Amino acid sequence: MSDQGQVSVRFFATLRAKAGVDRHKLMVDDGITVAEFKTRLREDLPGLPESGSGMLVAIGKDYAFDEEAIPSGAEIAVFPPVSGG
Amino acid sequence: MPPTFFAITEEILDLNELIAQITTPSTGASVTFSGMVRGTTTKGRKFETDYLEYEAFKEMAEAKMEQVADEIREQWPNVVGIAMVQRIGRLLPGTPTVLIACTSAHRDDGVFEAARYGIDRLKQIVPIWKKEVGPNGEEWIEGSYIPAKGD
Repeated sequence: MSDQGQVSVRFFATLRAKAGVDRHKLMVDDGITVAEFKTRLREDLPGLPESGSGMLVAIGKDYAFDEEAIPSGAEIAVFPPVSGG
Repeated sequence: MPPTFFAITEEILDLNELIAQITTPSTGASVTFSGMVRGTTTKGRKFETDYLEYEAFKEMAEAKMEQVADEIREQWPNVVGIAMVQRIGRLLPGTPTVLIACTSAHRDDGVFEAARYGIDRLKQIVPIWKKEVGPNGEEWIEGSYIPAKGD
């Protein structure tokens, strides 16, 4: 069994509404990619959208992309395409 | 250091104060873009807006504003001062919601283009969202830009 670490997630805008929570913590395998993390997150929070580009992920203050590995203890944000201004 | 100012705020936006923040002894020109809540929309789908509710991921938003300022300085090296402020919370029609200001020594130093670039980039990569509330209910607005590496 691989090692696991906890990551914390914040949700914003529509994805906060769909997740049904502001924040979530989960245990993930070390070295999990962003794409795998999204799938894992949907298992916990089935209200989140299935796939596609409507779910953006940031690690810390930067956008993270599907093939990137998530460092253990990462602070992750999940949100839809932005609409400020 | 050239003056740079970013904020996500719930306070009323003050244009004069913002420009003062990025005015130096060598400043001779400033261009500001300001956006406000539109009450009546007539382009495309026609609808009325009672108010907009804005939210932001503040820490990342301010970091991304700084990144946009760096991008501006790379493209228009004669732009000196850059300010970006987004107001969040519940905002009524007519209320200013966002200000982007750039200053330089002369008006042909790229300040017009830089301010335009600033608001366009803010709408692409700065994590802010708005929910539109009108007589027919409420709806979160989603942007159309999907960030790529380097954003």
